[in-house]
Order: sequence, then structure tokens, then C-alpha cells
Amino acid sequence: MSEHLSRRRFLIGACSAALLPMGCTSREDAETGGHKPHYVMVFDQNKCVGCGECKTACNQANGLPEGQSRLLLEQQSGRVEGQPCPHCGKLKCDCERKFVRVSCQQCKDAPCVTVCPTGAAMRDKATGVVTMDEGKCAGCKYCIGACPYNARFINSATKVADNCDFCLESRLSKGLLPACVESCRHDALVFGDINDPQSYVSKLLAVKDSVRIKPHLGTEPSLRYIPIVKTGV
Amino acid sequence: MDGSIAFTLGLSEGVAWPWPIAVYLFFAGISGGALTIALGLRLYKGQSSNTPLLKAASITALVTIGLGMLCLVLDLTNPLFFWRILVFYNLNSVMSIGVIALCAYMPLLALVCLIALKEELKYLPMGAMLTGIAAKFEGQRRPMEIALLVLAVSVCAYTGFLISALIRFPIINTSVLPALFVASGLSAGAAAAKMVAVRFFNEDLHSSDMKLLHGAEWPIMAAEALFIFMIMVSLATGNAGAQMAFAAFNGGDWSMLFWLGVVGVGFVLPLLLNFATGKRFSHSAQAFYLAGLCAVSGMMCLRLFILYAGQSYAI
Repeated sequence: MSEHLSRRRFLIGACSAALLPMGCTSREDAETGGHKPHYVMVFDQNKCVGCGECKTACNQANGLPEGQSRLLLEQQSGRVEGQPCPHCGKLKCDCERKFVRVSCQQCKDAPCVTVCPTGAAMRDKATGVVTMDEGKCAGCKYCIGACPYNARFINSATKVADNCDFCLESRLSKGLLPACVESCRHDALVFGDINDPQSYVSKLLAVKDSVRIKPHLGTEPSLRYIPIVKTGV
Repeated sequence: MDGSIAFTLGLSEGVAWPWPIAVYLFFAGISGGALTIALGLRLYKGQSSNTPLLKAASITALVTIGLGMLCLVLDLTNPLFFWRILVFYNLNSVMSIGVIALCAYMPLLALVCLIALKEELKYLPMGAMLTGIAAKFEGQRRPMEIALLVLAVSVCAYTGFLISALIRFPIINTSVLPALFVASGLSAGAAAAKMVAVRFFNEDLHSSDMKLLHGAEWPIMAAEALFIFMIMVSLATGNAGAQMAFAAFNGGDWSMLFWLGVVGVGFVLPLLLNFATGKRFSHSAQAFYLAGLCAVSGMMCLRLFILYAGQSYAI
């Protein structure tokens, strides 16, 4: 049963990969019509295997210095301490593929944008994406302390604050998908405009239960997570 | 599945604001506190002469805010980016509002300082020019002092508002913090100004100004202790995040700094010096300087504790 399900999931995933580019056609409408996009990213924990190719692709696309990245994968475990692993039966293992994407949550009410004294941490007018105006950043690190997700850092090459902005400058502005989304071979990442009811993300989120990180803080993050659902009896 | 998902990793390691910011908060507090006390006393007593306390407080305030600014600039990722904070503004940002307040505070403070010290300035190489500037503005002295008093309180409070906007940290993200910083700034600023007045401007240890300040010290200290107690209680009885942060007071890495530095040096020692020693010692110059140094060091410990323990316990 579980095998059958995962095969089904795989097929759906394969189809969704084909659908992805279609979901993004809405951006052209945004530029022409009065449509205001709200870009969201969905991280499906059921599909992520933790290969880290998203991180590599991001580092390349955004030219990040050695050892720094805009996203991390945190490996977690659902095991009960002292009991054998439900997957491999060992008492000690590292086999559980349960990962969480750590990156800028692209809050609708972003503390970094509020506290930034110079307006360097800002929201891009056309896309609504939280990004950086590097020429304005004074390097005071107020945004880094203010981010409730600890998702910002000082880029050691530019000496200014940095965050995941869905590859706004390097790719999104050229009509391309964020590097991580495009590089993910397991379709764990889905990106699109949730204000467009025809987009794939809108349809996906309409049928899938998703959660946001620390929603009680009221920052209204744009990253959605589809948590692992336990399978088996 | 618990219905929620979370991560514990972060993209920045360590504290975003290290010790230079604590030193900046300390200097800004001393500067605003010393000036508030001296100008408040001056307006309350209707003084018009240049009292030793005013001279001491204005020069202390000027030097400390200068040192504070130095710490602030040196803590930027690139100190040469400093001009950007002065050119670009965001009125939603507490820091930006603080920059505006400081931009008004520092020149006004420099002028008030020049006027208060014009007798002493005569002996400096550029004395004639400086006293010339002082003479030009002397007519507007009272309105300038009132404006500066408001700005001095604002600078004191601003350092509290600045960090209480950081919602990730339960110890820091409290509404009491600006009040605590004003109270501790007043007590340490008063102590610093008093010591400078006695040491460098020949103020009598038992003058009427000093007596008034001695009287004001204890209520301010009581308010400070109350604010710290309020923060502790709200953490101990708060939600899970707040209760986790309460560990900073009992057993965490920074609890020693709190109990020995903030409570021991800042509160207990001055109390003992004043009330547990004989009248002869407690009225001596040694006791005066020791108590003053305790107040100033206690405040430094408080700012260090709030900043470091605060940033160490994130929700």
C-alpha cells in the first residue's frame, strides 16, 4: 500500500514538474494588467530527500561567497528516544529523510523591512518580494536581530545583509524560476503566484494541507510547508 | 504529526549585536541620564549661573555620546557605510527615528556645553573662537536647555525602544525595557556627573545640589529594581518562550553577570556603602567615589546582560 502510494506520488510529482512553467505564465499578466502577484514557495517535506542540490544551485545563481548560503536544510527526526528506528530498525541511525528548508520566509508583514533604518531591506514594488537595496545598507545588523526566523545574514563579500529573495534579480526578473525550484529533482519545491487562481501553487494549496513557521507571530510568511504524514499501520 | 513544523538552524550564528552595542547603550544612557539630571535640577531650582554640576554633566554627556557613536560606527559591517544611515531614512524604523533625535541632540549639546564652560574655554588655544560661538547663542539659552532636556530623555528611552523591537528575544522584547533604560541611565548618569563635578569642577561633596541628587538617587534606584523585577515576573509567568528565557536568571551562562554585576555591584554595594557603614565613612570622599563607580559599573553590567542574555534566548 505504502509503495503504491509513493509511486502515485512520484507520478503526480512528475506531472507537476511539467505543469510548473505553466504556473508561471501569470507573471506576464502581472506586468501588463493590474494584477498584483503574491509569490509563494511550497516546500514538500514528503518529497525532499535532503540532497542539497537546491543550496548548490542557489549559491551559484546568486554568486554567494564560499561557505555562505541563503538556504539550509535541517535534518530532523521523528524517532522516539531509546526505541529502534521505524525505517531501519537500528537504535542509532541517520536514515530518516525528514528535512526542513531554512530560508527567508518572505513575510507579508516583514520585521526586517520595518526596522531597517535606511530602507535597504525593502519590498520590491512589482513583485512584492522582500529583497535588498545593497547600495543603501549600512551594515547595522538590525534586520538580522529583528528576523524572527534568523534567516538573514551578512554577505561576507558585499558586507551587507542578504536574504533569499526568490532569485529576484538573478532569475525571477528574467522570467525564470528560482534556482532552487528549478534544480530540485524531487519536486519538493513549488513556486508561483497564489493570487492567480489558475497557478499550480494555488491549485496545490487548495488540495494540500500546508503549514507556516511560527504563524502566531503574525508575520504572515509566504513559505508554506507540507509536513510529512506518517505512513503505515 | 503535531500539525506544526519548525526549524532550529539559522543563517546567522552568534549574536547579531555584540558588546560594542552594549557599550553604546551604556554611553548613550550615561549621556542622556547625566544631562537629564543636571538640566532637570537647573530648571527645577531656576538656576542661571554655570553650576559645577551643569558643567560636569554637559561635558560628560558630550564625551560619552561621542564615544557611544564611535562604538556604533565601529560595529557596522563596514564603518565607511555610516553615511548611508544619515542620508536614507525609514520613519517606521526605531533606529531611524533615533538617528534624527541624535542629529538634533549632539549639536545642541555641544552648544549648551560651550555656553556652560565658557569660563574654562578661555584658557584653551582656540578659546576666543569657542567663546565667540557661545556668546552668539547665549540669548537662546533657556529654550535650548528645555529642548535638550526633552532630547536627553528621548535618547535614554530610545536605546530601550531600539532593542525592544526585536521580537525574537523574550528578555528584550518587553514594553518595560525603555523605562528600565531611562531609570538606569538616570542613576548612572547622575553618579557620573556627580563624580566629574566633585573631581574636576570643585563641587563641594555636601552642597545643596549634591544633597538633592543624593535624595533623588534612592527612588530612581527603587524604580530600576522594580522594572527589573517586572521583567523577571513576566518571563517566569509567561508563555513557553518566556519561561525558557527566564533561565537567563537562574543558572544560564549570564546569570552570574546578573546576580554579581547588576544586583551585587549595582544595588547591594551602594546600599551597604551608604547604610551599613559608619556615618564618618559613608560621608567620606572614598565612599562617594566608590558608590558612584558601583552605579556606573552596575549599569554597564545591566546593558551587557540584557543584550547578551537577551539574544541568547530566542524563541
